[in-house]
Amino acid sequence: MIQLLKSIKLIAAMTPISLLLIACGPQQVPAGLVYCSEGNPETFNPQLVTSGTTIDATSQQLYDSLIDYDPVSGEFVAALASSWQASADGLSYRFKLRPNVQFHHTDWFTPSRPFNADDVIFSFNRIIDSENPYHGISQTGYPFFQSIGFTEQVTSIEKIANDEVIFHLKQSNASFLANLATGFSVILSKEYADHLLAVGKPEQLDRMPVGTGPFKLVNYVKNEFIRYHRNDDFWRTLPEFEQLVFNITPQSSARLTKLITGDCSVSALPKAGELPVIKQHPNLEVDTQLGFNVAFWAFNTQKAPFDDVRVRQALAYAVDKQNILRAVYQETAIKANGILPPQSWAYHYNKSSYQYNPEKSRALLADAGIDDLTIDIWAMPVARIYNPNALKTAELIQADLANIGVNVNIITYDWSVFNQKLNRNDYDSVLIGWNADNSDPDNFFSPIMSCASRESSSNRAQWCSAEMDEILAKAKATTIESERKALYQQAEALFNEHVPMMTFAHATQLTFKSKAVKQTQLTPFGGISFEHAKTIAITGEL
Amino acid sequence: MGRYLLRRLNLFLATSLALVTVLFITTSYFPVSKPFALSGIATPTTEQLAQIEADYQLNGNQLQQFIAYAQTRLSGDLGLSVTSQRPVLEELTQALPASFELAIVSGIIAVLFGVPLGVLASLSKNKITQHSIMAITLTGYSIPVFWLGLTLSLWFGVELGWLPVSGRINLLYEIEPVSGFMLIDTLLSDSAYRISAFKDAVFHIILPAITLAVLPFTVVVRITRAAMLNIMELPFIKAAEARGLHTGTIVLRHALPNALIPVLKNMGLMLGTFASYAMIVEVIFSRQGVGSWLVAGIYQRDYTVIQGGVLGVALIIIFFSILIEVLHNAYNPLSRKEIYAAN
Repeated sequence: MIQLLKSIKLIAAMTPISLLLIACGPQQVPAGLVYCSEGNPETFNPQLVTSGTTIDATSQQLYDSLIDYDPVSGEFVAALASSWQASADGLSYRFKLRPNVQFHHTDWFTPSRPFNADDVIFSFNRIIDSENPYHGISQTGYPFFQSIGFTEQVTSIEKIANDEVIFHLKQSNASFLANLATGFSVILSKEYADHLLAVGKPEQLDRMPVGTGPFKLVNYVKNEFIRYHRNDDFWRTLPEFEQLVFNITPQSSARLTKLITGDCSVSALPKAGELPVIKQHPNLEVDTQLGFNVAFWAFNTQKAPFDDVRVRQALAYAVDKQNILRAVYQETAIKANGILPPQSWAYHYNKSSYQYNPEKSRALLADAGIDDLTIDIWAMPVARIYNPNALKTAELIQADLANIGVNVNIITYDWSVFNQKLNRNDYDSVLIGWNADNSDPDNFFSPIMSCASRESSSNRAQWCSAEMDEILAKAKATTIESERKALYQQAEALFNEHVPMMTFAHATQLTFKSKAVKQTQLTPFGGISFEHAKTIAITGEL
Repeated sequence: MGRYLLRRLNLFLATSLALVTVLFITTSYFPVSKPFALSGIATPTTEQLAQIEADYQLNGNQLQQFIAYAQTRLSGDLGLSVTSQRPVLEELTQALPASFELAIVSGIIAVLFGVPLGVLASLSKNKITQHSIMAITLTGYSIPVFWLGLTLSLWFGVELGWLPVSGRINLLYEIEPVSGFMLIDTLLSDSAYRISAFKDAVFHIILPAITLAVLPFTVVVRITRAAMLNIMELPFIKAAEARGLHTGTIVLRHALPNALIPVLKNMGLMLGTFASYAMIVEVIFSRQGVGSWLVAGIYQRDYTVIQGGVLGVALIIIFFSILIEVLHNAYNPLSRKEIYAAN
């Protein structure tokens, strides 16, 4: 009996010891960088979507555009086009293309020729030419290009030589270059597209990408990871990392845990409430980038009582924006006084915007003859860059409105269902926002408050004003910056007078990362680039 | 025995049929169009729509629809995943090995530690040892698995930084899935980092496996102890003792094999609870597997994944429950007697 007990004890003691033996010895990890991203990309071609998650996983990593926008200098810089030139009348743009740029060599395709004018023409013709065999392959259309009316802007793209193309425009357009510099205007390989057409698998173009960017796709497992390898033929300086992995983690708290335990070195879209946790860990830090975005509360101006401007003004006066900035953004955001963020060149400080004033609000409501009002606020269920927590925002607004005697019901659904229901346009008001795609001020107006945008249902206030459309058209037609600035100021004033939506914050884009990783680049339009990322050895406490 | 097996097979088929019926009825209550809920194709072309209608007999009466539904589902056509547009069956078979890996490792831990501890508790004449073992198992049995998982990951992962708390392996290791079992695939891979990758996979499975093992562990301890106490009093053990056999031999050769029979039976009974705990553990430790796949499907309103996942998981549980019962009967002559008596 005693012997038996001994042997049992021995086994019990041996097991942990053998586990410890496995644990000994240095752990070798292949070189690379793991980024905890927030969701699955819908496709690997950014032309087809506007979702930030997809843009993050594609534009900066897999592809290049003709030109890039440098957020520091605020100027356009050469990318696949080495130089460009606008004609005097602004009706054509000539691009000289960079020689010897190689497309990705992948398991599914080996390119035989470098990048040339045919690829540029194919990439844009796919969008503007409904005859193009690839035009109809996209199930989602080309939402970014549709919202800016790209097809109507560009009449044709002409090949001058193998390394030279000209874009012919219908009329002069000040935002044209800015649109080409977005993450949506990527260059695909025509050779690959032709090859896929020949083997009868055209839809593979958007799922198994071939681009010219710093990384190439290796494999993607839904809900798990996206793996990239370095593109060794990259035309700029090679990235330091041979490998880049997106660890797909939808939960914000799980991303934070993975960062702490070292399962990833950079983590996306944190909640502002998690900032104190980062401060407790000496090897972690916060990266910030002022965002080109605006968070707002849009009123359905097609529906009573929101069709009455006095009601909208009353509601705008009733909300304490400072309180939202404190509780939802933890002071990481800038208070919005209009639609444009302060970094925009067209921004001008607007004194007459709505400051918290419950008395005025009550007076305006009484003036409109409204008492005993109950409204619905729809709050998005997910964190976006412009608003990390719409539900909390809705609760704060609910409390503020109770002060002026307005009852609020908060409504929310899962994100995809929420979007579908929102498109039926029968809501009272919705808490949502806008993240700009490029630096042009027009991007804050045309896509969300022009009459055309009401058709593509991105105009959440359902607000259509002939006056606004006229100002915006004028501002697009001229390229003189001072004139444009004045026009956008007019647009701001008009917006302020009608308050189709109450703006409250310009959020700062945050990422958490390990201090060992340097030079990951956040772009103000909500993308992240790992092209220049480096690791440094940290001395001291880890 | 042949008739018995036939009856078990019958039971398997009947339960599966009931399951398919329930799924068929709930599918018609999904808040989307029927062709979409069944096939997972959001915007079908005219030909695709005609194909779906033909496959699922959508123009027929309820009975025809049910037969068509059962036929397509049981032939392995679970439709396309709404979110990824890949066949659900393919995703399911990809997710399954990860769950089996976790379940097997947890099961091994539970038996490896549970059986000796149960024997120890039954043999010990010391009240303190007995009571403390029983107290530990009762506590383990009552702890909610989500609390335990979160506590372990908070303590060993976040506070102490000893063990990773999510995923199956550091994603920087590139492991080709061969068997789908990460612990095996790392060793099979031809990467230079093979051994490091294996260690990493072991580290990644420790916390989830321990969390999941707690429930079966406590059950194994309690059942083993109860069975051992019974058997040690039986005449054949007394006879063996009287013949002067060594206690170790008595326990290992004569008592334990008999004591393990009820343990096997209880494992079969526990399978459903064990599977749902495994899903919770997968979600808590963000491990890939059927559980996290199914939960993600629910969040993403992936109707075909929900149906396919529920069907797959339930069929597996039914199959293994019946398998364990059959094994139990094959191994245990006493229950065989009951079968023959019943015939």
